[in-house]
Amino acid sequence: MRGRLGTRAVQYGVLIFLTVALNFFLPRAMPGSPLAYLAGEDVGLMSAEVRREVLARHALDLPLGTQFARYLGNLVRGDLGHSYQRGRPVAEIIAERLPWTLLLTATSLVLSTLIGVALGAWAAWRRGQSSDLSLLLVVMFFRSMPSFWIAVILVAVFAVGLGWFPIYGAYTPWLVATGWERVLNVLRHLALPVLSLTLIGSAETFLVMRYAMLDVLGEDYIATARAKGLSERVVLYKHALRNALLPVATVFMLNLGFTVSGATVIETVFAYPGLGRLMYEAVLSRDYPLLQASFLVVTLAVVLANLLADLLYPLLDPRVRLSDGA
Amino acid sequence: MAHEGVTRLGRALKTSPPGMLGISVLAVLLLMAVLAPATAPYGPRERVGRPFQPPGSRHLLGTNDVGQDILSEVIWGARVSLTIGIVAALAATSVGTVAGCAAGYFGGLVDGVLMRTVDLVLVVPFVPLMILLAAYLGPSLYNLVFVIAGLMWARPARVVRSQVLSLRTRLYVEAAKAAGGSAPHMIRRHIVPGVLPLVLAEFVVCASLAMLIEASLSFLGLGDPLQKSWGTTLYYARVRGAFLTGAWVWWVLPPGLLITLTVLGFALTGFTLEAHCGPRLARRGAGR
Repeated sequence: MRGRLGTRAVQYGVLIFLTVALNFFLPRAMPGSPLAYLAGEDVGLMSAEVRREVLARHALDLPLGTQFARYLGNLVRGDLGHSYQRGRPVAEIIAERLPWTLLLTATSLVLSTLIGVALGAWAAWRRGQSSDLSLLLVVMFFRSMPSFWIAVILVAVFAVGLGWFPIYGAYTPWLVATGWERVLNVLRHLALPVLSLTLIGSAETFLVMRYAMLDVLGEDYIATARAKGLSERVVLYKHALRNALLPVATVFMLNLGFTVSGATVIETVFAYPGLGRLMYEAVLSRDYPLLQASFLVVTLAVVLANLLADLLYPLLDPRVRLSDGA
Repeated sequence: MAHEGVTRLGRALKTSPPGMLGISVLAVLLLMAVLAPATAPYGPRERVGRPFQPPGSRHLLGTNDVGQDILSEVIWGARVSLTIGIVAALAATSVGTVAGCAAGYFGGLVDGVLMRTVDLVLVVPFVPLMILLAAYLGPSLYNLVFVIAGLMWARPARVVRSQVLSLRTRLYVEAAKAAGGSAPHMIRRHIVPGVLPLVLAEFVVCASLAMLIEASLSFLGLGDPLQKSWGTTLYYARVRGAFLTGAWVWWVLPPGLLITLTVLGFALTGFTLEAHCGPRLARRGAGR
């Protein structure tokens, strides 16, 4: 147990270090001056004197090792750099966006898990029948759709066509409403992005759940339960469902890591002010410090979620505790 | 022996309705890509009418913002989309197969290093890294393929390794090794034929993921602007506000539907092959 966690911890450490190193070396390894990437300035047009002065201001005249040490020092102090396009510290911008992404992706993750589990269990119970197979085909179709395509269609039909939902954003700007009206406003903006993510997410959970359930239904203890004369309902919900949930829990926790990296594409379609959309905006405006910092934050979040999953999993599945004891 | 394995796979596909459905869908789409010069009414970049025309007898799917025929754009786009998907999957599966064979065959340190790398690649946040790299490397077909393959080889590597591990303990392999077979000889003659059917299955699954990722990146405008894939067409449709008007029905629906069908075709085929020949696998979300 300790050995497994130790290995994982080392791996996560390496991943974070590689991310930091990538962020540091990428702008410096590109053709041309790193100034173009780090400060948005074109050194080609500067006189030699000005160039020296600007390089010194960004500490780019120091040896690479010293630069890297400084960079690490800044990160440790929580200084993620400065966005020259927006004239603000990057950490501040990210902190503003993070809650919106979490709201969007966490809601979708919970909903898609619930829907996927319910439908998956139902399909497994009716295995081989036409209702199971047609549901399976529909789910496979949903799973194959590009998420942005679903999103665009939903916008065209429900926002533009029917006018039921707002077209973009996370809330109405300059809304004077307070209390419930405000909450309702945010929820209405949330509906279509969440629906897009949930449609695809529940397809994934459905497949895992149906598979796990089929597996469990073939076990001896299910046959025993049936032989005891228990009703099909009790067998299904009390004996099979609980054990089939284990793989779903694994997938849930893996996806937890991706809640922060979120839904760049969906946030872009809906102009939702989350972290994913921020990365996209950073690409469009060539705001490299912002882009890199977002990537770092996302990686950190993924690593934390995975670590959490590693810690929680033995609690859910006693077999892991036993077999890893050696 | 490699022959037998592949023939058996063909039989497995034929007897499974989802497998047959998948393969037929793929065949039709491939045909469409190959026959593009014959079936597309116009060239992909030809300006043949007034911009923003609704569907009519001259343009079955109307025209886009610069007066190109959308039907032709979509038919030619099949070539770009399928090429990227297949080439990226080919690259990822090759790297994965080599890594998996090496890890499984040599074991020890090689195995340790390769498999810890695989674990690492599997947790990397996919889409954000792609965006970061695409932003630095610039949009081009090669970069797209390179980035997709660089992140996708981990899964086939892990699957192939477990298959090699089980092959290594078979009697005929042990006998060949005891008779003094060198490592390259062993891998070429005994390991590769044994994993080949599984590699094929992995390739098909990879292709379905690669298609989705390519579509997402192109949709964000990070694809190759000179090579119009289905994702690129959707990018322009969004940028020109097609979904704010009725134009989405003929501009957004067809390319997206084709992406979905291709991914579905690959997925149905891949799952059928995988169920037939592979160890069971936990699957992870595609590029979200």
